[in-house]
Amino acid sequence: MGALYLIFLPIFLALPLYLLGRNFGVVKYIALTLFVYMLTQSVALYGQLPEAGYLDLGSYLSVPAFDFVLSLQVDRLSVIMLLLTSVMLILVGLSSWRMKMEDAYFALLVFFSGAIFGVFMSTNFLWFFIFWELTLIPMYFLVGIWGAEGRIYAAVKFFLYTHVASMLILLAFFLIYKQSGTFDMTMVKESMLMTPALIWWLMFVGFAVKMPLFPFHTWLPDAHVQAPAPVSALLAGVLLKMGAYAMIRMVILMMPEQAAAYGWVILSVGLVSLFFAGFMALHESHLKKMVAYSSISHMGLVAIAISTLSFDGLSAALFEMIGHAFIISPLFLIAGFIHHRTGSWQMGDMGGLMQRAPYLSALFVLSGLAALGLPGTMGFIGEITILISTIQAHGVWMIIILLGSMLAAGYLIYSFRRVIYGEMSPLIRESDFSMPKMEFLSLLLFGLLIIVFGLYPQPLFEMINQAFQSYFSAGGLS
Amino acid sequence: MTLTVLLLLPFVGALLTFIAGKMKASLAFWLAEVIGLILFAATLILFSSYTEPIVVNITWFSFGHNTLPFGIYIDHLSLVMLLIATGLGALDIHFAHDYMKEDPDQARYYAKVLFFIGGMILLVTAKELTALFVGWEFMGLASYLLISFWHQNSAPADAGVSAFLYTRFGDIFLFAALGLLFYYTGTLDLQKINALASNGAIDSGVSFVIAIFIFVAAIGKSGQFPLFPWLMRAMEGPTTVSALIHGATMVNSGIYIVARMFDFYVAADALVIVAAVASLSAFIGASSALVQSEIKKVLAYSTMSHLSLAFIGLGVGSLAAGMTHLTNHAVFKALLFLGAGAVIMSAHHTKDLWKFGGAYKMLTLVAIFMGIGALSLSGIPPLSGYFSKDAILVDSLVNPQTNGLISTLTIIAGLLSIAYIGRLWVLIFAGKPRDKALNEKMTTPSKFWISLPLGIMALVTIVLGFFQTPLAEYITGEAFEEVHLAYFAPLLLGTMALIAFVIYKFYLANTEARDKLAAQPLMKALHQLLFNGYYVERMITWFAKSVVVGFVARTIAWLEHHVVDGAVNATVGLSSAIVARLSQTHSHRISNQAGAMMLGALLIISILLIKGL
Repeated sequence: MGALYLIFLPIFLALPLYLLGRNFGVVKYIALTLFVYMLTQSVALYGQLPEAGYLDLGSYLSVPAFDFVLSLQVDRLSVIMLLLTSVMLILVGLSSWRMKMEDAYFALLVFFSGAIFGVFMSTNFLWFFIFWELTLIPMYFLVGIWGAEGRIYAAVKFFLYTHVASMLILLAFFLIYKQSGTFDMTMVKESMLMTPALIWWLMFVGFAVKMPLFPFHTWLPDAHVQAPAPVSALLAGVLLKMGAYAMIRMVILMMPEQAAAYGWVILSVGLVSLFFAGFMALHESHLKKMVAYSSISHMGLVAIAISTLSFDGLSAALFEMIGHAFIISPLFLIAGFIHHRTGSWQMGDMGGLMQRAPYLSALFVLSGLAALGLPGTMGFIGEITILISTIQAHGVWMIIILLGSMLAAGYLIYSFRRVIYGEMSPLIRESDFSMPKMEFLSLLLFGLLIIVFGLYPQPLFEMINQAFQSYFSAGGLS
Repeated sequence: MTLTVLLLLPFVGALLTFIAGKMKASLAFWLAEVIGLILFAATLILFSSYTEPIVVNITWFSFGHNTLPFGIYIDHLSLVMLLIATGLGALDIHFAHDYMKEDPDQARYYAKVLFFIGGMILLVTAKELTALFVGWEFMGLASYLLISFWHQNSAPADAGVSAFLYTRFGDIFLFAALGLLFYYTGTLDLQKINALASNGAIDSGVSFVIAIFIFVAAIGKSGQFPLFPWLMRAMEGPTTVSALIHGATMVNSGIYIVARMFDFYVAADALVIVAAVASLSAFIGASSALVQSEIKKVLAYSTMSHLSLAFIGLGVGSLAAGMTHLTNHAVFKALLFLGAGAVIMSAHHTKDLWKFGGAYKMLTLVAIFMGIGALSLSGIPPLSGYFSKDAILVDSLVNPQTNGLISTLTIIAGLLSIAYIGRLWVLIFAGKPRDKALNEKMTTPSKFWISLPLGIMALVTIVLGFFQTPLAEYITGEAFEEVHLAYFAPLLLGTMALIAFVIYKFYLANTEARDKLAAQPLMKALHQLLFNGYYVERMITWFAKSVVVGFVARTIAWLEHHVVDGAVNATVGLSSAIVARLSQTHSHRISNQAGAMMLGALLIISILLIKGL
């Protein structure tokens, strides 16, 4: 039953929490406690995992005629995602400490946390889909209520994209059910499917929108710009990872033969994303859009690593996913903070922030350097592992991905120059940059994670290696 | 233990220095000074207790089937580099006491300097390319942060950007080489790679490409053609930082990596490329140094030219010549930069050469020490610079591959060095003051803080001259034979004397003739060409700004907004158009609805009829 609580307690708690707690200002404390509790539970789950395969957490709501059973099972891959999600929730919670209408905001975060745990824990396709869609509801309100002026366009775009994508995914799930007779993703084998290619393509496009990969990425910059900063961090750190997780689990590990046949599709889409978004970031003078395109560019790198279909490549991809969450989130938070205080997004209006807010600037530089892959940060570990694994899988021409990191150096160093260094602009001079404690704490923790796992990635890689080992030692995948 | 101190203390120390400096500003200097001395002492201990190469195997992390190591390897070559980095580093920190005295950000300064030295230590003690690359990038970062140390002004901030981007461009080639080497050899261990290459276990085409990739990285770090403009821009940073970059650390790393992989380069047959690019750089650097009007820029171009000489030394196949020149250059260039720092400081941060003159009186000690450095740089015996420079020139003539254009450029560059450094010294110290007001304001620097480190370096410059053969043998581990061409030395010295005489004539005795000559249109154009470093920076900037950002990125942005995003917006437009059309059918007029009903009924009936009931 414990596992069930992890999902449904937050989902059903959200509304009463908001109604009862809002007059006492306790919602955010309860929410944060809950996130910490979820982290400890995830750690406990990790301890209980078997050497390989799934840990059964029980099946609920079985309907005999229809395979609609809520079966909860986790393996190492999903628990790593749970750990990442709960850490992100805590840090995002901290950075939202002074949000307007904080009670409603935190109630939505609580709802979101339950839904996203559902995504990573349920192994029934239908329930997976239900939770997948449930995460959108709080996200929609978080962007729609706390967002900026142009949120209508962004919301429509977000809606259009993700729902078309969801329809494709749902169609794929029903085709799987029709052909294999089960919605249980641990039971489905590629050999049971009559039209595996069609299913593969439906799922690939569906998840590619979420990741997002070129050419399905244009919802993301708009959504990010309109979303409040912590929601952007949540979007980049958790929601996109849902897409990458599903990509690894269903598009690669469940259907290795199709993946091998269409691996070049993933590779080319990843490469185009990497460079296209890299150049877009170079072109942008809008601070947050630059970060958003940088985020897309790095997810392109994840897709490239996934396209190797190898043990090494998937390990690199998962590491880069985690690194991306910890690197892009503080960039979004800082960009949002600067905008909040200056009212401007244009990097041309800024300059000399180091003189006003040295520690904030230093954290911006740190996260930016991590994003361009400087050694000593998680970004470098991601890049070197992806470089090595892709060269092994696709050949030596894969060194071209390093041009992506040159582009990153270009736009990030140039953005430091425009925002942080140089003479103080009037806008920066007149704005107040006193940083609230909780927000600063969350940035500091992000910075620590970036450096600690950048210098000593071994513990993380041990978890990652074990997560994929079972898939590759059992045969099927090389 | 010594090793742990050497590798970790700079980084831990940087953190401590920063924290301590934030509490009390003067604490930062003292802590940094002590740490600098400890690092030098640790190096001396390693140096004196050395018997055989120190090897420490460390695993960094494993992912998938791969394991990435992070080992330590110290041999004679590393020890020489360590001595340079920590010895000159400590002197540099000592000098900074006065130079950075008035700066409010001492904590930040010393923390970054220690981090910088730490990066160099990491680089030269690396067993594998992984640790080397980490040290390599740490130094790139440290130089970026130190060059833009006075970040509140635009010029240093811009200089930092170009330092980072130019070197980063080279770095991705090193990164690529790392990936390629791991793929082709399965190891990142530099000694193993050397051995494999020597045994012919690596395909020669592959190793040639990798060698060129690594050399591109070295070009970026050591400021060779065409990636040198950052080196001149870097003069915007504090002069102590310039001394650190040009003497103790950063620029040496490019030569170090080629020296470290020397066997690999020999096997890859890539040395002649190294020599060719370097000879071009040597010429560009030396000729541009002739006309610079800023003290530090003369020295910066001179660094470029002298590092090229060290590269040529390696390129013509003499590890000994290249590395001894690197060592000699490190010392006398740090001396010259710190001397320039002393001059600039006592002149209240005036950098324009043409405002000085006759500073000998106020800065006697500095003038003497800088004179020793200048003589060594020009290659006057018996100072250290003479021996290594002579060896490089002779080697380039003897080697059949480089005898010709490469050796000619090398000799010209070697000869020009006496001209530009002579001009520098003469313009600052000799003659009469050009700017009387400035001259009167000048102060005599402190003996202990300023002159002492300069004196030590001058002493080392003199002493090193007598230890060139042992030094070469220490580095290469082989008996060193000096090669001399009988007619060569007198010819060279004669030409040098002639150049010295021209300099004297032009800059001291007969300035009118010089000004008349400079007024010629052809000379003016030449002057502009040299002054702007052959417009290389302008071309690269044009490419980056107009081609990459202005054209490619703008085209991509157009595609994004009009094609990729346009498709989405068109879908939205199309669907809303359909909705609008359909909603017209749902009007409230009875006649329309009745008509639609009739139409529908007719349709159904006709379908039924066609299907044959």
